[in-house]
Amino acid sequence: MQKAKAIELEIAVVDGVELNGTWNRMFEPRVISEYDLSVLEEITNIPGAESLGYCYQCGKCTAVCPVDSVGDYSPRKIFRRTQLGISLLDSPDLWLCTTCRNCLRVCPKEVNMIDIMPAVREQAVLEGKAPAELLTAFENTARYGNPIGESARKRADWTKTAGVPVPVMSQKKAPVDVLWFVECYPAYHPRGKEASAALARIFAALGVDFGILGTEEKCAGDSQRMAGERGLFEMLAEHNIKMLSKYRFNEIVVTDPHAYNAFLHEYPKLGGEWPVRHYTQFLAEKLAGVNFVKGIKKRITFHDPCYLGRHNGEYEAPRSLLRALPDVELVEMGHCKQTSYCCGGGGGGMWLDGFTRDYASERLSERRVKEAVEYGAEILAVSCPYEVPRFEDAVKSTGHDGQIQVMDIAELMAYCMGLNEGLAIS
Amino acid sequence: MANTDTVLIVGAGPGGMEAARTVAELGKKVLLVEAQAEIGGTPYASYATLTPDLQETEAAMGHIVRGIRHNPSIDLRVNTRVVKSEGDIGAFHVTLENPDATQTVVEVGAVVIATGFQHFDPGRETQMYGYYEYDDVITLVDAEAMFKQGKIIRPSTGQAPDSVAFIQCVGSRDRQIGNKYCSKVCCGIASKQSIEIKRMLPNAKVFIFYIDMRMYGFWEDQIYWKAQEEYKVNYVRGIVTEVIRRGGKLLIKGEDTTMGRPVEVLMDLVILSVGMEPSKGTVQMSKIFSVPREEHGFLQTVGGPLDTVSTPVPGIFVAGAAAGPKDIEDTVSMGGAAAAKAVGALNRLALEV
Repeated sequence: MQKAKAIELEIAVVDGVELNGTWNRMFEPRVISEYDLSVLEEITNIPGAESLGYCYQCGKCTAVCPVDSVGDYSPRKIFRRTQLGISLLDSPDLWLCTTCRNCLRVCPKEVNMIDIMPAVREQAVLEGKAPAELLTAFENTARYGNPIGESARKRADWTKTAGVPVPVMSQKKAPVDVLWFVECYPAYHPRGKEASAALARIFAALGVDFGILGTEEKCAGDSQRMAGERGLFEMLAEHNIKMLSKYRFNEIVVTDPHAYNAFLHEYPKLGGEWPVRHYTQFLAEKLAGVNFVKGIKKRITFHDPCYLGRHNGEYEAPRSLLRALPDVELVEMGHCKQTSYCCGGGGGGMWLDGFTRDYASERLSERRVKEAVEYGAEILAVSCPYEVPRFEDAVKSTGHDGQIQVMDIAELMAYCMGLNEGLAIS
Repeated sequence: MANTDTVLIVGAGPGGMEAARTVAELGKKVLLVEAQAEIGGTPYASYATLTPDLQETEAAMGHIVRGIRHNPSIDLRVNTRVVKSEGDIGAFHVTLENPDATQTVVEVGAVVIATGFQHFDPGRETQMYGYYEYDDVITLVDAEAMFKQGKIIRPSTGQAPDSVAFIQCVGSRDRQIGNKYCSKVCCGIASKQSIEIKRMLPNAKVFIFYIDMRMYGFWEDQIYWKAQEEYKVNYVRGIVTEVIRRGGKLLIKGEDTTMGRPVEVLMDLVILSVGMEPSKGTVQMSKIFSVPREEHGFLQTVGGPLDTVSTPVPGIFVAGAAAGPKDIEDTVSMGGAAAAKAVGALNRLALEV
């Protein structure tokens, strides 16, 4: 409940007299004495941010905004605060949105945060107002081609642990059917690398003719774009398009839904147009030829990645893979498919955990893990490389270690195909 | 030879009936065509009481309906559809069709279209508020059907609800759905229904979740203040986004926008305040009489606020919700105005001849 806030100083000196505690108590002014409308005008004049001015305050977004459920943030509130003269450019609100698209799904006025956020953030970045940890991720990406800050030369090192040949296009010197765009977390993060190895083994077992760019690949950049670094995104896209253009292949398969989004909607604008599928879509079509040799007698639930589901409408492919795994019981959480909750990693959230901590009662990933546990899931299956690390941290921080495991669908599938003996399903 | 004595009126709801009565009073003949077996239109068929005065519909409208049936100047054809029209003012040759597909061609001098609206169907959007999923999510129309039987119950149990939530603006004011307009009457009808529920169930908690209460004119104190002050109905600013089943109840999720806090409250019964869309008959008449539809899909009129009944086609007029969301008051006013203009047009034509 919003109440008048008392301000008490330990000691206040008034006319040379020391007053302490309740004797100097004051209250923050609560009266709105001015609506500085120039602020709303300034924000909605930014190309892409026009629709913020369309809000008619119904509040539908608030109920489905994952960030509001752990804090005090929703598109409706952003409009009111901006109308009141609190500039989004200076407000922490600007960095809390994960661009999960749930507000746009229900908004009767089509206030489009998916356009507003990157547009206003770009302005804030130019004005030097972005949080430091986000700038670090941008700098890493610019310098090393990945936001983590890992060496660019080590981008293909994970292939050594795959146990099957992972052809690198520059060495293969022959056309392939599938160009696998691996992305950063699947190439560098320890758990991401395990999922990549599993996917490589699945490809090999299915006889997929594939290759990767290896060290020629850089981050696809979509989350940097959503976080306000369009210039960096364009640089990365131009590089990747140039590298991809050197080789002949029939389609791109991506591990990362954010890369999927970029290849589907953004790269074509910059001259890079290829057929692209998420790996779950690619594998779902090949299910008939998959030989499963063992089952997983577990209750599994699936977390829809925002950029595969709500952004691009794919809900079925990952589920068809999970349903095909022998002995698996697939359960749906209350928030699933179109209404799915968010892991908190999108739109730059992956690099803002320190910043958002001050504005949220808990992480979105923690809330999601609690929901999975509430629905009795023993395995939380994911298909976005942001999610294994985020949810595994959340399993620990919410005290559910040993109760629920987080696995990429590729890991589970490889396990059932007898290709992932190392996977410890407890 | 121009026909200057007959006005065809399509649709026998409040607007069509008022147009028919007025044309008859002004001394012309009326051909009143109604597709349904009964006349009286949507309010008479679907509403137990009228807004804002809570009169029983039968008591309020029964005598008008009977007056139409017995008026010698009104040739009433029920179960009849207009399927074709040729010609112009003074000589419209209109083809009528019976349920057995018998067609008759009639000649009329002018036409009043009063084909009204239909209620928005929440199922049209993907699982909107779970209307087709949860028994205890109903619409204003479903609630009226219960009121006609003198009750309000939870369909899932047959028991009286302890808590009821109205959700406003369902299918209205929504760019994504494509209905960019306010349906005008739903705020009043929800308030009226909340009074009726409290009369039957004084201990029930009744909530109306709204974006803006549109209680124009006298509706403000006649129903809004009355509901809040006398019947203790609770108005909460902020709309419900989703309805989810929890246990045997319905969890409504939304925002209390004046408090700026999310709402997750259990309810026994949820009533969707569904808005208006052009009826199928209105869409068909637009094609048959070549009357264009305005950008919201209703029949176009030419005079803006200063002529609410003339269409771009000379000799064709419109009354009521065929021209956009209307309450009964406006519908009846338009019925009279359309009749007067139609008769005036025929009189001018008679002078020219």
